Amino acid sequence: MSQTRERHKKNKDKTFFDYSMLFIVIFLLSFGLVMLYSVSSYGASLNFNDSAYYLKKQAQATVFGLILMVVVMFIDYHIWRKLAIPAYVVSVVMVLLVLTPLGYEVNGARRWLNFGISLQPAEIAKVGMIIFFAAYVCRMGKNIQTLGGVIRTVLMGVPISVLVLTVTENLSTAIIIFGIIAMMVFVATPNYKEYFVLGGALVGVAALFVYLVKKGVLTSELSYRFGRIEAWLNPEAYSGTTAFQTLQALYAIGSGEIFGKGLGQSMQKLGFVPEAQNDMVFSIICEELGLFGAFMVLLMFLLLIWRFLVVANNAVDMYGALLVVGVMAHISLQVILNVAVVTNTIPNTGITLPFISYGGSAVVFLLIEIGLVFSVSRAIKLKNAGE
Amino acid sequence: MKLSKRKAKERPQKFTGRMQKKLAVLFLLILAAFIGLTVRLYAINRDNGEEYKKQVLSQQEYDSKVLPAKRGEIVDCNGTKVAVSQKVYNVVVDAKTLNGNEGKFLEPTLNALYDSDIEFTYTRDELKDYIRNNPTSQYRIIAKKQGYDAVSPLMDMLNNKAENPNLKGVWLENTYQRTYPYGSLACDLIGFVQGDNEGTYGLEEFYNDELIGTSGREFGYLNDDENLERTIKPADNGNTLVTSIDVNIQSIVEKHILAFNKEHENEFREGNGSKNTGVIIMNPNTGEIMAMASYPVYDLNNPRDITGLTINVDEAYTTQGVVDIDIAGDESVSANSVTAPAGSDEGEETSEEDSEETVTQEETKPQTYEEAYEAAKMEALNDLWKNFCITTTYEPGSTYKPFTMAAGLEEGILTGNESFNCNGVKEVGDHQIHCNNRLGHGVLTFSGALEQSCNVAFMDMGAKIGKTIFMKYNQLYNFGLKTNVDLTGEALTNSLVFDVNTMVPTDLAISSFGQGFNVTMIQMVSGFCSLINGGYYYQPHVVTRIINDEGATVRNIEPRVLKQTVSEETSAKMKELCTNVVALGTGRSARPAGYMIGGKTGTAEKYPRNKKNYVVSFMGFAPAEDPKLVIYTVIDEPNVPQQASARYATLLTRDILTEVLPYMHVFMTEELSEEEREELSAAALTFAESNNKSLSENGIVSENSVSGDETDKGRENLDSAVDSVITFEDEEEKEPERTFEVDPETGYYIEPGTGILLDPETGRPIDDSVSDLE
Repeated sequence: MSQTRERHKKNKDKTFFDYSMLFIVIFLLSFGLVMLYSVSSYGASLNFNDSAYYLKKQAQATVFGLILMVVVMFIDYHIWRKLAIPAYVVSVVMVLLVLTPLGYEVNGARRWLNFGISLQPAEIAKVGMIIFFAAYVCRMGKNIQTLGGVIRTVLMGVPISVLVLTVTENLSTAIIIFGIIAMMVFVATPNYKEYFVLGGALVGVAALFVYLVKKGVLTSELSYRFGRIEAWLNPEAYSGTTAFQTLQALYAIGSGEIFGKGLGQSMQKLGFVPEAQNDMVFSIICEELGLFGAFMVLLMFLLLIWRFLVVANNAVDMYGALLVVGVMAHISLQVILNVAVVTNTIPNTGITLPFISYGGSAVVFLLIEIGLVFSVSRAIKLKNAGE
Repeated sequence: MKLSKRKAKERPQKFTGRMQKKLAVLFLLILAAFIGLTVRLYAINRDNGEEYKKQVLSQQEYDSKVLPAKRGEIVDCNGTKVAVSQKVYNVVVDAKTLNGNEGKFLEPTLNALYDSDIEFTYTRDELKDYIRNNPTSQYRIIAKKQGYDAVSPLMDMLNNKAENPNLKGVWLENTYQRTYPYGSLACDLIGFVQGDNEGTYGLEEFYNDELIGTSGREFGYLNDDENLERTIKPADNGNTLVTSIDVNIQSIVEKHILAFNKEHENEFREGNGSKNTGVIIMNPNTGEIMAMASYPVYDLNNPRDITGLTINVDEAYTTQGVVDIDIAGDESVSANSVTAPAGSDEGEETSEEDSEETVTQEETKPQTYEEAYEAAKMEALNDLWKNFCITTTYEPGSTYKPFTMAAGLEEGILTGNESFNCNGVKEVGDHQIHCNNRLGHGVLTFSGALEQSCNVAFMDMGAKIGKTIFMKYNQLYNFGLKTNVDLTGEALTNSLVFDVNTMVPTDLAISSFGQGFNVTMIQMVSGFCSLINGGYYYQPHVVTRIINDEGATVRNIEPRVLKQTVSEETSAKMKELCTNVVALGTGRSARPAGYMIGGKTGTAEKYPRNKKNYVVSFMGFAPAEDPKLVIYTVIDEPNVPQQASARYATLLTRDILTEVLPYMHVFMTEELSEEEREELSAAALTFAESNNKSLSENGIVSENSVSGDETDKGRENLDSAVDSVITFEDEEEKEPERTFEVDPETGYYIEPGTGILLDPETGRPIDDSVSDLE
């Protein structure tokens, strides 16, 4: 941080631009494309007779996303504050559109919209919620510090989360949206103890569920989610069914050793880890590049999150800072949950790894979020930064 | 809403230090989570790394798949394909996948499948039930051997998954389908393929190992760096067999066999024109088989078709119901009374006797009937599939006489200048063995004995030769041994020939004219080739060359001389004698217009003797001077009232040769009469065959042959026989030398001693029950 500051002190008129963050993003995107090609080429050539099928689609989305990122970068982020309510409305409408004929299913889950190009409304909702809640928390002012304010804020997140959960049956996105709100509120409020109590309570409830599943009170017949908990507790027992993907991912991780089998040399990607290019891409990274490669990827994400911290702390106003906190919450939550799922640390739920997993909507909206962060960082006056 | 408070707070809010601190705390929490996950990653590698590595390797095996090899083709001597393999597709379903995702793929997938032209072995509902009832099944073939046209729409849909997201759990599997472009042509010779690429009968079975190739495999393996390499080991396609068969000659042969059998169909008894008709055409100078056919035939593309097949279920099952009641308790087939109407009455009868077992019996009976039916069906099919020319054994009859003669000549026991006196019967041991002409042939020259096919003369020869030398030659001609022709199913006849140690004079007597021991057609034709080609016994064979998938020769199968049976001189003499048979004797009707051929007829009475069933045959070679082919025609029980006439075989031979010799570019050497010319041009125009031309034509043929160039010996024989040629057609024998009493009522001759009535023209007994050996 201090380096950057000193380097830019000479050109006081120039605005701050976070080259480190740009480098990290471009690195992650490029690395993501390389890994995506490695992981998906087998399945792509098998299913589409074109080993670069997924790579091409992802590259197109990435280029489109980069353009949008640059556009957003040069838009004053304060505009989004004015558009907070529309952002919320658009998010809700988009999710509801899934129920119309515009919505369609992939792999049995109705989560996509078809506007000529396919779109996942959950991704729009994540950006929408970051924009909305940054504005909302700012509007709350000091009220956010009261218990009522916190409850009101959290309640604002309930409708969209419930919609995402019920309409698209997408628990993971609901969790992430809720997590983003929680993190933003956490940062905006002075309390600590209450959050740890609340967090502890959540863990307790989760543990209770797990206990009940373990005792056979809650079974997969009641909800497939309980089935996933069963599989998580004892993956070997469900190796042919619910835990197949998880177990295959574990095999991939475990067989990678320290430096991996080498780029492109994964065996598990050859039809064993289902949909490896989506949620399970990290397991193949572990297999091909080993623990070392996995650590490097996590380190890059950590650096990115660190850059977010720096930008947020230096933002000219609270709204900009909260935008960045939202993005930071989003990306860190996805990385943590994704890696946790892949390592079977938590039960399986479909969460993709930012910048690396296959998914056009995800990468486009992630880059829009990065654009927002750049927009906030560009507003930082270097002299301010120097103070 | 709370956002309305905006107006009240215009001053910009700051991201306070307290917030920065909280953000730092948040970052630390995230960092802690990352560290926790890193530890978890490490722990997985440390605790389960080895186990998971093995697991990954062991899983790889499941990913390898078999690439089927293409079965080699079979082509004729001109390269015409008679057996080919075409790429076809099996449709496979994975019930597990189709049941997955709450069964959302099932309906769209079934729609896609059943909208196509593919012929499924299941109906849509059956398949649905199967998928429901077998949720773990991942491999089930639901359509077999579909052509490319039928599956290509499905293939396109499968290749375009993006547009067909719900088409799941279905894939196509490559395999090959054996087809025979000529259907039933040379069916017994070629054989067919059943089950998993398994050749059955004929060349398909004999050369199965050459044809089958080696399946390829697509698999992954680990290289030195323990990296996975995916490798395709392509299938090694089977080798192609180049045969000596000529499709055109084979077609001609089969056409005439069919014509004969159609003509005599249902003539005397219900059924085909003969029990079986076999023809082999062989190159005497190489042992290569140019055509081999028998009747009835079957469609190689559908060998299990039983239409037109008579299935004789064991009488016990059809007339008396269940014989074997004790087979009860197996799985029962319900309501089979339809298939066993004859047995249903009996069921009630037995149930009265043994009421305890009523139920079982009623269920078992149709079952056993069905078993009996199945057994009978398989028997009938095996009978249809077997190659008559190499599998069926029979007594050769007079076509064996040249072999007897050649043995005597070769050993110097016979000189060719002997004369024989036939009075119609010879007493050997306690037996009276009759000549085919009971009136007797009178005095015959050596050549005349063969021309007239005189049994008495040959019994005399046999006696002179003696059983030791006779049997030595019998074995030298390869009788009792396999010829080892490259076809599956050759009969072993070692127990069907006489043993020299136990042979009695009667055995020798009847052996000398080809009765009493069994042979196969392939033995006869191979042996006969050696008699007329200079004495060289070639191993008969069908395949001349084996070439691989790229067209390179893998193996040449050269003509193989196994032994010398007789000397050049004896062979030349036999050629001459056999030519006389066609020129002057019993084989006249076998001669195709414009050609001179040699040969010998045969009319062998089958066992039991009193049934009056005959195997009539003709063994010939053409052209007489320089034989390019040997033809052997055998008709087993012609469907006619009087079977004992070699004419059926000679005429069939003539019809075949009339077309085959010009096809082989053999030039005509004999002058054509007007009638023959007309006949040939008519045949050339219509190509339609009528194999029963008037007898008078044949008489004229014989007359014409007199004007041809003949050896002195031939001319001499000719002169002496010329009367009979004109008086009697064909194998009708000479005027009796003896005088007989004539039965005043019927005009038949009465044989002295026995009092049996004889036909004055043929010398054969009128009463069918009288045993008659030729």
